[in-house]
Amino acid sequence: MADSAPPLLKVALVEDDIAFQNSFAAAVRSSGDMHLVGMAHNVAQARRMIAGDPLDVLVVDLGLPDGSGIEVIRAAHDAWPDCGIMVSTTFADEKHVIASIEAGAAGYLLKDSSAEKIADEIRALHAGGSPISPRIARQILLRFRPAEPVPAAAALAEVTPIANPLSPREREALELITKGFSYDEIAELMQVSRNTVMTFVRRIYQKLEVTSKAEAIFEARNHGIL
Amino acid sequence: MVSSRTLRAILVYAGIALLVLLACYYGSRPRGIHLTSADLLVQDTLGYPPPSRTQDWRALPGQWQQVTLPHAPRPRMVPGAGDAGLLPTQTSWYHFTLGPEQAAPTGAYIYVPRWKTDGELAIYIDGRLFYQTHANLQWNGSNRPLWIPLEEAAESTPPRDILIRMRHVRGIGGALSTLWIGDYRQLGAAYYMRAFFQAELPYISSALFLATGVFAFLIWLRSRRETLYLLYAVMTVATFLRVMHAYMGADRLPVSDAWFGWITVNSVGWTVLITHLFLTALHHHHVRVLTWIITLMCVGFGAITLPLFEGTTDATIISPLMYITMVAVGSVTFALHILWSRRAGTLEGAGLAICGLLSFILGARDMLLQNNIINIESLFVSFYAQISLIIVFCQIMLSRYLKAMKAVGEANVVLVRSLAEREAELTASHQKLREVERREVLFQERQRLMQDMHDGLGSSLVSTLRMVEHGHIDEADIAQLLKGCIDDLKLTIDSMEPVETDLLLLLGTLRFRLQPRLESTGIRLRWDVRDVPPLGWLDQRHSLHILRILQEAFTNVIKHAGASEIVVTTGVRDGQVCVGIADNGQGFDVAATGAGRGLGNQARRAEVIGGRVELLSGPQGTRFTLLLPVEGAARPQSAAD
Repeated sequence: MADSAPPLLKVALVEDDIAFQNSFAAAVRSSGDMHLVGMAHNVAQARRMIAGDPLDVLVVDLGLPDGSGIEVIRAAHDAWPDCGIMVSTTFADEKHVIASIEAGAAGYLLKDSSAEKIADEIRALHAGGSPISPRIARQILLRFRPAEPVPAAAALAEVTPIANPLSPREREALELITKGFSYDEIAELMQVSRNTVMTFVRRIYQKLEVTSKAEAIFEARNHGIL
Repeated sequence: MVSSRTLRAILVYAGIALLVLLACYYGSRPRGIHLTSADLLVQDTLGYPPPSRTQDWRALPGQWQQVTLPHAPRPRMVPGAGDAGLLPTQTSWYHFTLGPEQAAPTGAYIYVPRWKTDGELAIYIDGRLFYQTHANLQWNGSNRPLWIPLEEAAESTPPRDILIRMRHVRGIGGALSTLWIGDYRQLGAAYYMRAFFQAELPYISSALFLATGVFAFLIWLRSRRETLYLLYAVMTVATFLRVMHAYMGADRLPVSDAWFGWITVNSVGWTVLITHLFLTALHHHHVRVLTWIITLMCVGFGAITLPLFEGTTDATIISPLMYITMVAVGSVTFALHILWSRRAGTLEGAGLAICGLLSFILGARDMLLQNNIINIESLFVSFYAQISLIIVFCQIMLSRYLKAMKAVGEANVVLVRSLAEREAELTASHQKLREVERREVLFQERQRLMQDMHDGLGSSLVSTLRMVEHGHIDEADIAQLLKGCIDDLKLTIDSMEPVETDLLLLLGTLRFRLQPRLESTGIRLRWDVRDVPPLGWLDQRHSLHILRILQEAFTNVIKHAGASEIVVTTGVRDGQVCVGIADNGQGFDVAATGAGRGLGNQARRAEVIGGRVELLSGPQGTRFTLLLPVEGAARPQSAAD
């Protein structure tokens, strides 16, 4: 480890599928700038890992043998606020991804990605960018929709005070994402750098997490739990 | 059947009524000077000359005889013949001498419980005319007790002799009850009680029932089919007229004696006819002959006694004959009605007929009283039979009215219930329909996915397996094929989420899925989409077709075109939304190879969702276009949405 070289990214994986463990380990090994610090096969092991030193990037699978990866994400986010957490997923379907983001994840990793792609995604996340899909963008837009006429059942949820509403720029970026534009194209259309677009998305994810926490408290108050 | 509770209640009420009546009777016994005998002098006279102002009883010619009061000679049925066209009359003089022990107190009254004369009455006190009736000769209020205040001047002395001059038709009428002399305390209660029960109560009640008759008449006016209400109304009128007997005549009547007699005597027949019709309407057993007989009787008597012409018979004079006839017909009628009502099970009808019979029995008793056969100081009671008859009428009307009200109430309840039932049925059938629809949607979804798995993922996996088995393939190709399969799968999963009419979101999803593959081939993608109108018909089923059509187009470019750039555009052309996928690769002969490149498959899918595909190819490249309707005019296989 030369002094002049940047320090290696400390990454770890929580995953019970050996095939993906292997390909993930291979991708990290071949990246050259990352170091696989640990590998947990279930929630219990993951919790022990979280009790230790903070990491740079933690990749978590949701379907663990002894519980949900959401717990791991939440625990890791609380323990290591600066750690970038990614949910590893086969389909990047919005249901799982958004639940993970609400728990504190900053991005997702498609399991069928190539080794280079995996390394790229980890680097991008660590650099402050977050991946997003058109459908996830659409979901987030719906979630932050300003008070419009909504069905009565949804009204309760909608009156929840949104701590940090989306800024017009963030909303614009999300709308472009739903139309299939890539980060580069959005950067060009909005006349900002690709990096800015990626930090937009990261900030939106953070707002989603905060809002969902506020909603949870609000709900709890409504139900007399708090 | 009458329940024991009802019976007990009736007994209690009857007991209370009896007690009240007894209290009235005993509380109102008269006290004071009671004159129970008199000297009587009877003279035959003609016509009705007025009495003289003074009259000395000693000067009257004839033989005085002592009589006991009440004095009531038996009348003849028909008056005797007169002389010189004048009515033969009779003057009965009753003389009383009051001894020193019979001195009237100050403020005394003469109280005569009953007097009867088809004529007039005058009272002399100490030889001076003191009181005189001012009424018709026949209907002169003889049912009203006399209540004559004595002179109460400074010089007044208690009367010593009283002379009563009573002039009446010879052989008919003329009767006098005992006399009472006393002050208000001694006689007031007795007088008022008698006046009340003898005249005022029948009057008040018949007037009250007349008012209910008006009410019934108004009901009948609004629903003419309910003839019972009309009959009841007419019955109250007839009863009112009949009961006039009891109280009219203390002063001159507005009609002649002849008319008053005609009305009140004939009204008995009318009540028989009305009661008969009413009972017939109750038990629906109509005997026309009986109706005819009663009608004939009423019309007959009415006609021969109608006092319009000279020489018709006076109803008052022949009233005994009429009463006997009417009571005979009425009794038979009511007896028959009791039978018919019992057969028809209308107990109230039977009750009414029994009341009718009762009124005749009491009427017979009153005839005896009228003809001085029983003590003339007793009360006429048939009026009360009349009143009770109308009470039964009223009761019947009331129960019918209440039944109708209850029926309306029940009808409302039934209506509300059936409405609720219908609503529940509707809700249930609506739910069932929705359940069916839901199952239909699920079924179609399953069908769609099955079809897709079969055509796409399934066949790809099978052909990959075959190639691996035959060793015709290297690892890179296998990986390529499997990646294609995974892409297929991802698009299938994407198609399960709603896109909400947003075609661009669908295209974005496709790009998101195909991007890694395109990147790996090094083909540049230009995303040149612009907003298009929302497609209202776009749902999950259509999404997958669109995704597959465009996926195939991309695959064709990647596999065959050798292109370096793909441009994706959207726009509106001729009212249709079009999605263009153009490459800069080598073109091909569309006519020759179009079908082989899966164009047939794409065209089939496009047709299913109401759209179509176009393919243009040349040396500059190939342009594939998918055209979709804005409105869902052409509905795909499933019309339900």
